[in-house]
Amino acid sequence: MGERKVIKSTCKSCHGGCGVKVTVEDGTIVNIEGNPDSLTRGTMCAKGLSSIQHIDNPYRLKYPLKRVGERGEGKWKKISWDEALDTIEKKMKEAMEKYGPWSIAVSQGTGRGYNRYTHRFARSIGTANVITPGYVCHSPRLGLYGLVTGYGRLYCDYHGWGGEFPKTHIMWAKQLEISSADSEMCYWYINSLDYAKNLIIIDPRATAYTSRATLWLQPRPGSDCALALGMMNVIINEGIYDKEFVEKWTYGFDELKERVKPYTPEKVAEITWVPKEKIIEAARLWAIDTPGCIQVGSSLERQANCGHTLRAIICLMGLAGNIERPGSMISWVLPKTGLVEDFYLEIPLTDEMKKHIIGGEKFKLGAARTCNPDMIIKTIAQSGESPIKVWFSVGGQQIVHMANTKEVFAAMKKVDFIAHCDQFMGPMAEMSDIVLPAAHWLEIDDIYDMHPRFMIEAHNKAVEPIGEAKSDVWIFNELGKRVAPKYWFKDVEACLDYQLRKGGITWKEFSQRLVSGCWGKDQVYYKYKTDYWRKGGGFPSPTGKFEFASKALEALGYDPLPQFREPGESPYSTPDLHKEYPLVLTSGYRAPFYFLSQYRNIPWLRSFMEYPILQINPETAKKLGIEDGDWVWVESPRGRIRQKVRCFPGIDRRVVMATANCFYPEEPPQSFHGLFISNPNVLTDNGHQDPMYGSPDLTCLLCKVYKCSKEDLKENVFKTQEYGTPFTKVLPIPNE
Amino acid sequence: MRWGMVINLAKCTRCHGCVAACRIEHFLPLHLTWPRLIAWETDAGKKLEVSTYPVRCNHCKDAPCVKVCPTGATQQREDGLVWIDQNKCAGCRYCVVACPYQNRTFLSKDKDPGYFPGYSLTGFEKKGKKLYPHQAGTTEKCNFCMERIDAGLANGLKPGIDREATPACVNTCQAGALTFGDLDDPESEVSKLIREKDGFQLHPEYGTDPSIYYIDGKLCGCVSNKAPLEATTGSHIQHLSTIEDRAKEIFGAGVGGK
Repeated sequence: MGERKVIKSTCKSCHGGCGVKVTVEDGTIVNIEGNPDSLTRGTMCAKGLSSIQHIDNPYRLKYPLKRVGERGEGKWKKISWDEALDTIEKKMKEAMEKYGPWSIAVSQGTGRGYNRYTHRFARSIGTANVITPGYVCHSPRLGLYGLVTGYGRLYCDYHGWGGEFPKTHIMWAKQLEISSADSEMCYWYINSLDYAKNLIIIDPRATAYTSRATLWLQPRPGSDCALALGMMNVIINEGIYDKEFVEKWTYGFDELKERVKPYTPEKVAEITWVPKEKIIEAARLWAIDTPGCIQVGSSLERQANCGHTLRAIICLMGLAGNIERPGSMISWVLPKTGLVEDFYLEIPLTDEMKKHIIGGEKFKLGAARTCNPDMIIKTIAQSGESPIKVWFSVGGQQIVHMANTKEVFAAMKKVDFIAHCDQFMGPMAEMSDIVLPAAHWLEIDDIYDMHPRFMIEAHNKAVEPIGEAKSDVWIFNELGKRVAPKYWFKDVEACLDYQLRKGGITWKEFSQRLVSGCWGKDQVYYKYKTDYWRKGGGFPSPTGKFEFASKALEALGYDPLPQFREPGESPYSTPDLHKEYPLVLTSGYRAPFYFLSQYRNIPWLRSFMEYPILQINPETAKKLGIEDGDWVWVESPRGRIRQKVRCFPGIDRRVVMATANCFYPEEPPQSFHGLFISNPNVLTDNGHQDPMYGSPDLTCLLCKVYKCSKEDLKENVFKTQEYGTPFTKVLPIPNE
Repeated sequence: MRWGMVINLAKCTRCHGCVAACRIEHFLPLHLTWPRLIAWETDAGKKLEVSTYPVRCNHCKDAPCVKVCPTGATQQREDGLVWIDQNKCAGCRYCVVACPYQNRTFLSKDKDPGYFPGYSLTGFEKKGKKLYPHQAGTTEKCNFCMERIDAGLANGLKPGIDREATPACVNTCQAGALTFGDLDDPESEVSKLIREKDGFQLHPEYGTDPSIYYIDGKLCGCVSNKAPLEATTGSHIQHLSTIEDRAKEIFGAGVGGK
């Protein structure tokens, strides 16, 4: 046996946060397991464990690359880091001079520890045109919590630190037990179920936990706002709301009461397809069996009425008094090290920067600090000219996750210069001029910021990065030093030290300590009853109350109360279209083995679900002449994709559920790694957007489904189970 | 002493963490999977059932695999563990046929192309060849992490209580669906769960007396005592590890390599 060492770190295979113990022997990772001394008690999911196959995967990008052919031709040349950074610097400086810094966009994947770097980098060079998936994931709820309560982050209190666990759980369009995001909460959620009385699952399809649930509501995708209004109608009419909280601490109850009046259980049953008895029962359980919490899934934020849907759900929390109580929704007290966002908030957005935010005038909440990505695409599609000249992209496959893939694809080709930073070649990388190799979380020193923000943890380097791969913080710091030196640091350690300074510790100390958190007795409940936010008590909102009706929203020109609006395409909003496309399509399907578009190149994970699955009710399938395992076309007015059918009784006969965010890493660069084969965003529309946040209808639209012919399955990805078929494709690894 | 496991059917989320943990612990080659999940959904007219049965070798008290083994490779220890002495296994596969639960896999000769066929083995795989050599041409199955149990006991630890002495799948389960311990000790967690929650074995009619018990089946709508022999899940959950050619197509360098 060679030299063996054990490194403690933090997983970031999803949003992450689970404590990890990594065993390294002679520089090779031989074991990964959960760290029993961490908050997640030594448990880990398949994604995190499979990092072992991620780390020395032969397809990893190892060197900076420069594109030498056309976009999508797959022709690359290895270059040095200096040449890569020099080129990006030059392109940025040219664009800044010629068009202004706002002609540079900085984009990122889902917020996983590098948000603060993308934002700080963008602000430091003078642009607020940051492209993030935030507007379809997490930002709407944070912004609206902020509007209603004055504080932007409400999370479910699963830990029991206040002496009580939630009595009623609502999982709304979310599978916290498996879902990619917020996995550090998965353990605590499941643990708290042992103490719960009711588990209410609101999901258009059955999940592993619906059989376990007290109540399962199966709404029509896109009708969730009406469901929340209906539940409030029951709660108010039956007088079972938390009277003390409502009278003393809320604003706008009478207006809300008026607003929910028409949403009787009968009417809501018609809109949502949920039987009225279930709506009434859910409302009663929620209002009577308190405390309780609602875990919101981002599928609700992938809908063009997301602002009001979230507003309605937040009002539902307030009606039951499930705010700041132990076992309810709570805003966590920060650790000593402070709010991680301060790292970029300390560079304020100037009026000039704000003025040039793309979509800023239209989407006053979603595009206040970052731009609306769909507007960039629309502008290019309409004018042929890109307002973005330089696109610096870190992680994330915008090209996959944005609505209307064909339009996105065509528009991106018009962007003069794209640099992308990733661990593997993928659709975004193929679109780029320069590709930078990123290090994996097992290869970096960095600070992990969990979503609920009651702690930060350390990523400690377990092994050296593959090839010349570098950490995100190194890349941003180096590029920052070149373009906006005033705001950047001598080296990575100095940058990390700076972020930890409020806690009075250095990176080296923190790296040993692993975590800085605020929990147990240090957490504060019922903040509004004390001077915590406001002298004499109250919320940090304009009225000092929990605002059922929002004056701030009204001032921006929006409805101050939650309002239901049909999706852009639905059986009721577009009945004619519905005749041709008779099924409601939702693309909220997540598998526990993938994180959005990631991990289809990790054999252990791919082995659990090889193909993107379309769930369809067996009766609907029978009518359409489709059998379990068939490949089918799913078609909308924008285009069609192929997914594999899973006949699934746990879905309504009028609804189908497609797997989201998929491309095929093994497909050739010429096809942008199978970008158009199975990705449901080929079907989605970017024309109908949420007025507040700009979120398009990604999880509620119309489609038709029909069987593929043999001729339709020519691509290599479909060549399966035909054992012995000669396979002649050579997967290119551009580095070598 | 008899080692056993209790699996809470209501808690399993189908995350497959147990499968991944096992692959790491035992450096399983491409086409081996010791634990599996059998998942299916039915809508038998009344209540929809979404069920998941995590399965692995049952370490049966009256194990048919032990009886049929002609070389004595498959053996049962005093603590109930059924294990295979790979040096004695002749690869006849009688046991694969004899196991009514289909929990044994034959590791074919010359069929260990690595997880990225056509490329050299990854560092992890190379290390695995030394740390946990698998012998092609023999049959394999879950061994309840025998190495962990034995090393743990030698160090005075208690399997099922002390992490180091407990199977890797049990340790990693985020849902806390798996519990391990001594079935002969009435005070052990497993014995308590079986007693209090009316634990049942899969297909008791086979008469093999499995050491794996299931609980809370009724809560999640599972059909008590019965699980299909093989997954009826169609395309939903599959095991690529048994479809080697396909893995080659996806992850391999293709003909000629690169």
